[in-house]
Amino acid sequence: MKGWHVRDIIFVTILAIFMGTIFFVTGPLYTVLAAALAPAGLQPLANELLLGIWVMAGPLAGFIIRIPGSATLGEFLGAVVEMFFGGIWGASTLISGALQGIGSELGFALTGYKHYGWFTLALSSLTTAIVTFGWDMIKNGYASYHLGFMALLFVVRLLSIFFFGGVLTKLIANLLVRAHVLPSAAH
Amino acid sequence: MATVTIDSLTFTYPKRTHPVLDDLAVTFPAGKFSLLTGVSGGGKSTLLNLIAGLTPLPAPGAIRFDGHPLAEIPATKRANTVAMMFQEPSTQFTMDTVENELRFALENQRVAATDIPAAIDEALNFVGIAQLKHRILMQLSGGEQQKVALAIIVAMNSDVILLDEPFASIDPPTRLTLLQKLMTLCTQQHKTVILADHDLSGYAHWVDHLAVLDAGHLTLLSTEETQERFAAFTPDRLQLTRVTPPQDTETVCLQGTQLGLFSGERELIHPQDLAFFAGQATLITGPNGSGKSTLFRALVRLSHYQGTLTYQGQDIQKISRKSYARQVGLMFQSAMAQFLNVTLDEELTLSQKNGNRAYFTPERVTQLLDQLGLTQHRNQVIYSLSSGQQKKAQLLCMLIMAPQVLLLDEPLKGLDLASIQTTMHILTSVQRDLGLTLILISHQLSGLDGLVTHHLRLMDHRLLYEGVTE
Amino acid sequence: MNPTLKLALVLIIALEISFTQVWTVNVVLLVVCFILMIAYRVKIKRLLWLTLVPLFFATALVWSLSLQGSASAHFLIVIFTRMFVYVYMGGVFTQTTEPLMLTRSLEQNAKLPSKFAYGFLAAFNLMPKIRTEVATIRAAALMRGQVLHVWSPQLYFKVILVAMNWSDQLASAMASHGFVEGAPRTHAVRVPLPTWNWWACAVSLLAVQLGLFLGLP
Ligand SMILES: Nc1ncnc2c1ncn2[C@@H]1O[C@H](COP(=O)(O)OP(=O)(O)OP(=O)(O)O)[C@@H](O)[C@H]1O
Ligand SMILES: Nc1ncnc2c1ncn2[C@@H]1O[C@H](COP(=O)(O)OP(=O)(O)OP(=O)(O)O)[C@@H](O)[C@H]1O
Ligand SMILES: [Mg+2]
Ligand SMILES: [Mg+2]
Repeated sequence: MKGWHVRDIIFVTILAIFMGTIFFVTGPLYTVLAAALAPAGLQPLANELLLGIWVMAGPLAGFIIRIPGSATLGEFLGAVVEMFFGGIWGASTLISGALQGIGSELGFALTGYKHYGWFTLALSSLTTAIVTFGWDMIKNGYASYHLGFMALLFVVRLLSIFFFGGVLTKLIANLLVRAHVLPSAAH
Repeated sequence: MATVTIDSLTFTYPKRTHPVLDDLAVTFPAGKFSLLTGVSGGGKSTLLNLIAGLTPLPAPGAIRFDGHPLAEIPATKRANTVAMMFQEPSTQFTMDTVENELRFALENQRVAATDIPAAIDEALNFVGIAQLKHRILMQLSGGEQQKVALAIIVAMNSDVILLDEPFASIDPPTRLTLLQKLMTLCTQQHKTVILADHDLSGYAHWVDHLAVLDAGHLTLLSTEETQERFAAFTPDRLQLTRVTPPQDTETVCLQGTQLGLFSGERELIHPQDLAFFAGQATLITGPNGSGKSTLFRALVRLSHYQGTLTYQGQDIQKISRKSYARQVGLMFQSAMAQFLNVTLDEELTLSQKNGNRAYFTPERVTQLLDQLGLTQHRNQVIYSLSSGQQKKAQLLCMLIMAPQVLLLDEPLKGLDLASIQTTMHILTSVQRDLGLTLILISHQLSGLDGLVTHHLRLMDHRLLYEGVTE
Repeated sequence: MNPTLKLALVLIIALEISFTQVWTVNVVLLVVCFILMIAYRVKIKRLLWLTLVPLFFATALVWSLSLQGSASAHFLIVIFTRMFVYVYMGGVFTQTTEPLMLTRSLEQNAKLPSKFAYGFLAAFNLMPKIRTEVATIRAAALMRGQVLHVWSPQLYFKVILVAMNWSDQLASAMASHGFVEGAPRTHAVRVPLPTWNWWACAVSLLAVQLGLFLGLP
């Protein structure tokens, strides 16, 4: 197991900034979605749909750097950058970032940082969804939703995270393997 | 002062069969300026990275500084011994401002906090950039950034200074100042300077022996051979003889009306009318940071501009992005930006699929690859090609797309003389056959003579065609 | 105030108000932060932005919670004010803290390994370049006849390769500028940590605790 080098730290930060930039490219889409859903009280659904892109930096960093803590750091640094660059949510961004990171980290940790394949990514998506949802139950009062709506929110979130953090991440990883950037012996 | 001795150095990249450096042996004398040249992909960057200790050495004793093996110099002392200045100006700084970056480097060397301010001022004054002290690095032009990089090396007082094509995107006056400073470091402070460059103009007075790296071997040329090589870069060879002012009869393809460009608050181009003409090859020159690349980015709708821009009479903001991108293409200043796939072969296949298939038949492409010396790199991962190889691959990919207007930002950056000639030959014949409009930005003029028909100068925030008076 | 201490204070308070439900404390906090922002001369435009955005989100969330959930009015007020506290507290923090000072302070006062501090800064300072790169990648693809969407693996593939390339270059440059991981360095700029900072921090925390304790239903 290797340790953190300055190159990895720079990489993770740059990646986090990139992911933040891509996320903001979807800004108009989000605004339209949120505005359309808000009157019916469904605005949180817009969050859930796009959350996958937001938390993607974690699994990507975890999959590429393969050092314990890389997924967490990837998300967390993204939050730090966001806080300083126009992001408005301040300290709560940092807390959410850290929790999202820990969420996706769990998936890699549970497989002992040994298996880099479908199973780990799926697991990581699940843990991310659970941890972040738990946090939203406390912070944003999701706990007081009716059970059905809560379930809907959770499922949409899980699907979004699974699509971006799982399926898409795997496809990206496949390209990286072909470019000899990642070892080909992915399980 | 330090002599750099290289002894039986063989280096092979992982997954490659042929060594890049093959049993190399050479001595770079202390206090001398050594100029390193050779074909693209000859291994210059590889060698410099090894000397700088940035790539792990295959054998510990292969590189020595004054007899001490590189591997035995403790990491904390290394920057005192050897420092490197890189080709890409903007990705070599850690901090935000010039002063902070210098501070950072000196702190790393554990210079006492009280001595740091004086050392910073001294280094800045030596390079003559005291006025840049509080500027933000990312807002400096490429040339200014390279000057700062040199100031840092001066402040660190390293014995050996390595430079990997440091002038590849630097305007001629800046290049000359930097060269003079380097020579002063050599002659007065006895620094050992090893510099890799393709463009040999301006060295003739200072360099007696040229080191040529080819096929893994390094040869020192004799004085006559060296002068012979320099001769190709004398000022009279750099003249553009076919340039004419635009005629009234020429068709306008891109037209800017009261076109103004800005970088933040700073004005780059004062609002003016500007036309580009169909079927011509127009060269744009101007100092670093004057806004040439920004102009190109505006032409392909990547940056904001004032006024209007029309393509064949239509406002470019009203044309769909997709169809406009197929008619006006840009070869970016950095080659990396252009690639989408993994291997060179895949890149070519993609271009052939979407580009001008009728003209660029597989046979023609094979032939072009051969001329550019890329045949055996077809299946190599494109990002591991040398900088010159990438540039050639990038050009080929964009040519195959054959957009009506092709913008080329520094297409000759980092190419050796032979590659420049081949490239220009290819560009000229493709332009003639397909009737393309070419607009180029280039700091270096060698080899451009056969192609360029109009010359647009960017000076004092104005673009003016050569031969036209206001 | 010392940046590390300030960050710790802000984080602790943010955590605490996330887990408690005392709207009076939220209101006091947001008023204090608002006054601080005025005192530190936050631009009117920014202030407006910092008010309108949470206003939209808080309203939408509260509306959604009341339509789809069974929250009490008290809880809705807590949620509503909480969002403003997050935003205003963040506003005060970013307005009064430069990233460079924060990293220096974390390195000197909180003993954060220098590789994290400067690795982060190196990437952070590249921000303008990183931001334009995404548009460049998409435009370059269009010119080759390919459309890249946010769900195209190739977009991310490119982004990762660029990130790797730049991090290689930056790491090499740092090494060339004498940076060695774990090696001791001198500090030309010292970040002070005076005793009154500790007091200020302790008193603010105590006040919040008191408020939370008194305000608990
Ligand atoms: N990481 C790598 N993996 C595999 N091959 C590589 C790698 N880096 C470089 N090469 C190959 O090694 C050879 C030498 O490359 P190098 O970059 O040292 O050349 P160069 O002389 O600096 O060329 P240029 O003048 O174009 O910059 C090239 O053929 C290149 O394709
Ligand atoms: N991403 C950016 N962020 C901040 N400033 C920028 C950015 N890109 C360009 N600039 C600034 O805009 C100005 C014009 O840059 P541009 O790249 O157009 O110059 P150029 O004429 O192409 O120079 P060169 O010959 O060095 O390529 C420069 O001063 C540069 O510092
Ligand atoms: Mg090179
Ligand atoms: Mg340019």
